[in-house]
Formats: sequence, structure tokens, C-alpha cells
Amino acid sequence: MKKHAIRKKAEPYLWMLPSLILMAVMIAVPIVTVFQLSLSEISRAGVIKGYNDFKNFKMIFASPTFWHTLQNTLVWTVAVVGFSTLIGFVIAMVLNQEFVGRKLVRAIVVFPWATSLIIQSVIWKYIINADYGSLNVILSKLGLIKNYINWTPDANAYFAWECWIGIFVTFPFVTFCVLSGLQSIDNTFYEAADIDGAGFWQKLRMITLPLLKPSLTVSTVLNIIYVFNSFPIIWTITKGDPADRTHTLATYLYKLSFYNGKSGQAAAVSVIGFAILCVCAGVYMILSLRAEKEEEL
Amino acid sequence: MTRRKRKNIIKKFFLYLFVIVLCVVILYPYFVMFTTAAKDRSEMYALSMTILPVKWKWSNFIEIWSAAPVLRYFLNSVIVAGGATLVAILCGIPAAYAMSRMQFKGKSVFLGLVIMSQMFAPVVLLVGIYKLMTTMHLVNSLLGLILLNAAFNQAFAIWLLRGTFLSISPEMEQAAKVDGCGTIGSLIRVLIPMSAPGIVTTLIFVFINSWNEYTIALTLMSTDTLKPITVGINVFYGFNMIQWQYLFATSLFATVPVIILFLCIEKHLAAGLTAGGVKG
Repeated sequence: MKKHAIRKKAEPYLWMLPSLILMAVMIAVPIVTVFQLSLSEISRAGVIKGYNDFKNFKMIFASPTFWHTLQNTLVWTVAVVGFSTLIGFVIAMVLNQEFVGRKLVRAIVVFPWATSLIIQSVIWKYIINADYGSLNVILSKLGLIKNYINWTPDANAYFAWECWIGIFVTFPFVTFCVLSGLQSIDNTFYEAADIDGAGFWQKLRMITLPLLKPSLTVSTVLNIIYVFNSFPIIWTITKGDPADRTHTLATYLYKLSFYNGKSGQAAAVSVIGFAILCVCAGVYMILSLRAEKEEEL
Repeated sequence: MTRRKRKNIIKKFFLYLFVIVLCVVILYPYFVMFTTAAKDRSEMYALSMTILPVKWKWSNFIEIWSAAPVLRYFLNSVIVAGGATLVAILCGIPAAYAMSRMQFKGKSVFLGLVIMSQMFAPVVLLVGIYKLMTTMHLVNSLLGLILLNAAFNQAFAIWLLRGTFLSISPEMEQAAKVDGCGTIGSLIRVLIPMSAPGIVTTLIFVFINSWNEYTIALTLMSTDTLKPITVGINVFYGFNMIQWQYLFATSLFATVPVIILFLCIEKHLAAGLTAGGVKG
């Protein structure tokens, strides 16, 4: 009888065991390794030579490239997530209207979400090429420009294009999260508001936005994590160049590790990245707990 | 014409204008990919570039298969994405089952950990992943890619599956148990068939994610014949000679099936992702 009780208690954990093992080996072990490497002196051949008194972190903090990269990462995350959320939201509102061909448009909006980031980035690299790129060709055929324009004269221009591609591939996720949220809103809310004579903006502010909060929260939280860690777009378009001016933390640590052979410093950048995301997660928890308390009052 | 009617027509006009501009912008890169894929190489750097190919060179779509081991790349992608999907679902279903049907200590901790694992994208762990794979002798191995893709998709798989299981009432399973089915029997005979749409959505989503994965494969796969398609297309992207027409013809083959698959699950997916979050 006692044996039976133990089996019953252990059962849920047994069900979760395969998943636990998979994640522990493939995700948790690398996390531990990254922390260990970030504190270690590492030879170019990759041999760990012991604890080195935060030297990797000191080197990273002393590097001007790191501070510029950090600033880029912030701009990149805020710009891409912010604009994607705004654009994605507006498009969802439009797609929620009745019009001819709505199903087709919905299908088209899926395209950027489903396409591999690397393929999307290569296409845009071709489009913005100054010498033979498609954008120049089309604009000049349409008679809008006389001479070909150099779309990427400096690092900032490259970075702006990278942000554009980021927005282009990110907004569909927001659109579909918002659309699924919109579909669950009871129409009687709007009917009641119509009777009360509420206008478009009032309905948006008092009904739509509060009821969409869960959908928007999920899409924003996930997007912040993905965009913050995004690698293929910037790597394809510039590899962080010219002169390391277009890195985000993800491409910077990749270059440090796999091009410059500085895995210790790369690991330190990873740890800094975790720390930033953890702070964001903490702020989010505090805010949502406070919101919950307010609702209770 | 009343004022209200006129206002409606103007509203409709702007609605359609917006939708048309939207579609043009979204489809533009795909248009470029398609038209460039069908251009002759000599047209690529011509002084008088055209939007459409002067002569549609459909043979590009055949030449790619012999210009590089493209078929091998596709095969690798199918193996990696298929294998990762299988592993992710086989580990994910029991975990999601436990988390939707059983009460136990540490359940919410585990759920929190699953969500937190999303914060560690492969790229920030690459240094550690590379070390792990070296120790396990899985650098340059399709099995290594399968396991990594499966692991990094566990969170979404569990999230989606748990949401599906929670939306199905446990009464049917209890009835099956009364009829003599064990826990596993009721899972296989009742719950899995009933949650087929959610499971298919998860399968396709994990498959697409693994198919499109680039960063891990770029780092781990150096042997040409083991590269999946996302890394393999780089062969057309040499330092001094970019074969844009082949690059885009291959990309087209890698993109179209994925978009079609995605269209099948789009409705379930968005609902599943947001529902998993709301139900906490």
C-alpha cells in the first residue's frame, strides 16, 4: 500500500522526465558553461585555465565597442518591438473589418512570419544594393529618381535598414495575436457603447485596449526576448561592420567567440545579456503584481 | 447621397488603399526573389537593369540541383526538422499531460522554468553549446542539431500542448479509465485523438522553427554535405561572385512549402500562444 502511494507521488515527475532531461542537457548545461567560461581564462585552443578575477568582464567594460553595441541593442529592441507592435496592432484592426479579399490579405500577412530570417535578410541585402539593387531599379523605372541612390552610405543607414527588416518580420506575430484577441471580444460591448454614443477613440480606449491586454502582453514579452537575441538579420546584412558600428550583443558575442577566438569575453557578453533580460523580467513581474493588487482593491 | 453614405464610401476607399499598399510592401521581397531567380546571370550586373527578366530563364530552377549539393541540403533540413519535431513532441506530450491533468509539488516552478528557458536563445548560449557538443562528439552531426532544436522548442511545444489539453474536459478520459483503460491507454485512445488539431499545430510549428533555424547550424556544421538548406545556400554567396539567381531560386524552394504549412496552422497558432499565456 505504501509502495503504491510513493508510485503515485512520483508519477507526475516520471511523465515530465524526458522533457526535463532534454532541457537540462541541451539548455541548462550550456547556461552553466557560459557562466563558468565568463569567469575563466581561456586559451585560444579553448582550454579553460582557471578563474581570472573578472578579467573578461573588465576587458569588455573597457571596450568602447561594447558600449556602442549596448546602445545599439537598446535602440534595436525598442525600435523593432515598438514599431512592430504599433504597426501590427493597426493592421489587425484593419483586418478585423469586413472587406472583399480579407482572407487573401490575412494569408499574405503570414508570409514574413513564416519565411526564414536568413532568406528574408538576403533578399533585402539584394534590394538595397546601391549598384544593382532592386529598389534603385524600380524607383528609376517609375521615374521617381534619376540616379541610383546609395541607400547605405554609413553605419547608421545600415542599422536603420536592419531595424526595418526586423520590423518587417516581427509585426505579423503581433497582428495575429491581436486578431485572436479581437475575435474573443463580445460584440455586445460595442453595441452598448454605440447606444451610449461612444466614438471610435472612446471605444478603442475603453473597450478594445483593456480587453486586448493579455494578447498584447504575450506578443510584447515574447518579441522583446526574440528581438533582443536576434542574430541572422544583422549578421547577414553587415556582420556588425562597418568598423563594428552595427553590432547588437548577439552578433558582437558571436564575432568575439568565433572570429576573434575570445570565448571568455564572449561568455561575459552573454552573461551581461542574461542580466539585462532578468532585470526586464523583474520589472515586468513587479508591474504585473502591482496591477493585480490594484484590481483587487 | 446622404452624408453618412458618403462618409462610408470614403472610409471604404481608404480601407482598400491601405490594404493594397500593405500587400504591395509585404509581397515586394517575394516578387524580387521570384523575378531575380528567373533572370540570366548576364542580366544581373547589366547597366540597364530591368524589373522583370528580359528573358525568363526557367532552367535556373533545374540548374541549382547540379550547381551545388542542394538536394543534400534539403534532405538534411528534412532530417533535422523532422527529427526535432519527433523528439520535441515525444517529450512534450507527457510533460504537458502531467501539467494539465495532475497536481504535484513544483508544478508552477517547472512552468516558470519552461517559460524562462525562452530567455536563453541559442545564440547567447552558443559558446556553451559549442563546448557541450564538442564533449559529446556532436559537432558536425545531424543528431546534435536534432536534439538542440528539440530542446529549444520544448517551451513552445509544452505551452501549446498544455493549452490544448486544458481546453478538453477530463471526463472522457475518466470514463475510459472506468472502462479499464490505464492512464497511458486513456491518453493515447482519448486525449491525443481529441486534441489532434492542437497537436498538429505544435508539430508544424516546431517543424518550421527547426527548418528555418540558422544560428546553431551555422556554428556547428562545417562539413558541406551535412549543412541544412539555410546554411547551405551560402555556397551561392562567395566572396567575389554572388550567384543571385541560384541563391533566390533555391530560397524559393525552401520558402514556399513552409509558407503553405504555416497557412494551415495560422488560426490555431495565434490563439494557442495567447491562450497558453492567459491560463498561466
